Parts: sequence; structure tokens; C-alpha cells
Amino acid sequence: MTVEEIFAVLEERYGATREKQDKWGVTAVVSASYLHNAVQFLKEESGIKFDMLVDIVGIDYLTYPNHEGPRFAVAYAFKSMKNPGARIRLKVLVSEENLNVPTITDFYANANWYEREVFDQFGIVFKGHPDLRRLLNHVEFVGHPLRKDYPAQKRQWLSTNDYLLPQLEQRLEELGYKVVQRSKEVETNDNEFLEGSIKE
Amino acid sequence: MGNEAEKPNIITSSLDFLVNWGRSNSLWPFPYGTACCAIEFMSTEVGRYDLSRIGSEYVRFTPRQSDVLLVAGTITYKQAPILKRIYEQMAEPRWVIAMGACASSGGFYDCYCTVPGIDHIIPVDVYIGGCPPRPEAFFDAMFDLQKKVKDESFMKQRAESVKEQLEMIKVKTAEAKCEAKTAIHDKVVDIKDFMKEKEQNFVKKAQFWKE
Repeated sequence: MTVEEIFAVLEERYGATREKQDKWGVTAVVSASYLHNAVQFLKEESGIKFDMLVDIVGIDYLTYPNHEGPRFAVAYAFKSMKNPGARIRLKVLVSEENLNVPTITDFYANANWYEREVFDQFGIVFKGHPDLRRLLNHVEFVGHPLRKDYPAQKRQWLSTNDYLLPQLEQRLEELGYKVVQRSKEVETNDNEFLEGSIKE
Repeated sequence: MGNEAEKPNIITSSLDFLVNWGRSNSLWPFPYGTACCAIEFMSTEVGRYDLSRIGSEYVRFTPRQSDVLLVAGTITYKQAPILKRIYEQMAEPRWVIAMGACASSGGFYDCYCTVPGIDHIIPVDVYIGGCPPRPEAFFDAMFDLQKKVKDESFMKQRAESVKEQLEMIKVKTAEAKCEAKTAIHDKVVDIKDFMKEKEQNFVKKAQFWKE
């Protein structure tokens, strides 16, 4: 099964359209409702098994010249390890009103952090993600910095360092440990913790 | 007594000289290295340039034992609270060197996540230009810092700190007196009320027995 045939199947079964602007001709635009099935097809059913997720990228078309259609897009880059050189890219258009996209963490484990990053920087919500938190920015950070309408030089002062102890405790508890006692410094008051994130 | 201690005389000035000589020749750095400037600091520290020639013998990785906070590299907003906390943990006297363009001014990172110069968070004594600066530039900064340390007057600072402490003690004693007064006043009022109630009870009882 060649890449061309896979495109034909994608167009036929999942209503994908091929993007003409793509220089290499490997991009297919899929609607969000068909994304999960299309990824399953690419990974498991197609002859060339795309078993590697290279990247997930968020795109904001707000200031893009001559662009029509929804504001955001999420692009998935897949690669085949079995058939080297075979690559395919799926693209999901996301409108500003409905920012939901289904997650693909059940197929690719590394999609977990990629999706967290896209959520962090663009505010796109991945439905069904096991742990959708900010990845790069601080928990107190307000807004999504890679959106084109975020003022690039707007600075936000943060009151505390990033608080990762709950996740550590959770992971230790999964390994069979138990929290017996916390020191006073570790215990945070939620209200205090989130107060005063921005000093104007 | 206060005025005499503030004026420099032969004892205080020679003590100043001695203390400053000791301080300026044993400036132990705390390397807060986050980027390529830290690599340059490593080459300053070891064999070829050898920072221990001027007395910065040990690089201390705890703020409690170091004199100079050496911020080498980009400081992000996420890291700013940590840097501030480390600075607060250092014992006085303490000095800060901002090494390189990023620590001094944010460098070319003009964006949402980089602090535009660490002097927004903590006071800085010496800035070093360069991206990253050469070890010679770092030595120059250390000499500048030594000059600065030698200019300081230990006795004057001590007199000032003693003055501050005295004032604080005065304020605190005044507060404590006020609190004690109000507490005593409240107690007196309580006792008076209590006595009044008792008297009324007695009067009532007396009336009852009369009847």
C-alpha cells in the first residue's frame, strides 16, 4: 500500500481533503470527529504502519495572509519505521468557538506531552486526555502565549515556584508508598497559592 | 557614645582594613548557572585561568556558605521566585554579579517568559557584558568587586545595624507596653463588672431575707 493509496482511503472513508498548499503533498485535512478513526487506520490497518508520532503542532491563522476558515489548526506528523521515508501529516481545523479535539494518547504514548504543550500554548482542549495541565508555562500563568493576539512582551510576575509535589506523591503512591506526614512548608493553602499572580 | 563610634578613628579604620582585606580575598561564589555563561565560568574556575589565585578558592553549592551570588545565564519568570529565595537565604555580607547579557538585561530574549535583567528581582553589584563574557572579563568583574568590598566600612555598617536594632527594640517594647496596658484595663473592667454583679446578688438576697 503506497502513500497515494492511503490518501485515497482517507478521502473515501474519513472525508479527508488533500491540502494543495503543501509543498510535499503529504497533508490531509480531517474533521475532528473522524480524527480518532483516521489515526487508528494509519497506525493499525494501513499496509505502511505509521507507528511513530513525530510531532503535534498548533497553528494560529489570525494574522496569516489570505486565510479563510477556522482560526486554529492542529497538525499531526506521522512517520513509518517499517517503511522508512513514508510520512503523512493530518490536520484538524479548530474554530474559536469550539476548541475541542479528541485525544490520541490511547494510540501514541508520547502524544501525552505534545497535547499538553499545545493546550498550554494555544488553549486547544484535547477531550479524553488523562492529565491535561500546562507543560511549559507556570500554573499561575494567564493566557496562551503563542496565540497571535497575546501581546508578546506582556510579562507576568509569578509568586511561587511551580508546585509539582502532588504529582510526585501520586506517582509514589502508585508505587506503593504512603504519605505519613507533610512538613509545614509543603502544605499550601490553595487560595494563598493562587493569589497575586499578576502585578501590574 | 553613639557619636564617637560613628566617627572613624585609628582603631576602627584599621579594623575596617583588616576585615575588608579578609573579605575581599576570600569571595566564595555561588554559581547560579542556567546557560552558556556557566560554561565560561567553569573555564574561569579551573586550571588555565584559575580563579583561586585571587582567593575565590571554593565554589560553594549552598547559599549559606557563599559570599557572591553569581547569576550566569538567562532567568525566566518561572525561575525568578527560586533565585529570589536563594538570595534571601544567603548570609550577609552578600554581593551579586550579573554575568552576561541575559542576566544583566534579558539579552535578545525579548519575550513573555524572560526576566529583563535580574535587577528587577535582586540588587546587583557588578554587571559583566558579553554573550558569553570571556574569563578575563570575569576576572575584571571580580577585581571591581574586590575594590567595592575594600571601600565598605565594617564598623559603620555595624553601628548602623546596632542603631536599627535599638530602634526595633524600642518600638517592640512600646508595643508590648501598650498591649499589656490594654490587657490590664480589660481585666480591671471585667473584675469591676464581676463585683457589681455580686453586689446586686447580695442586695437581692438581703431583700429576700427581709421579706
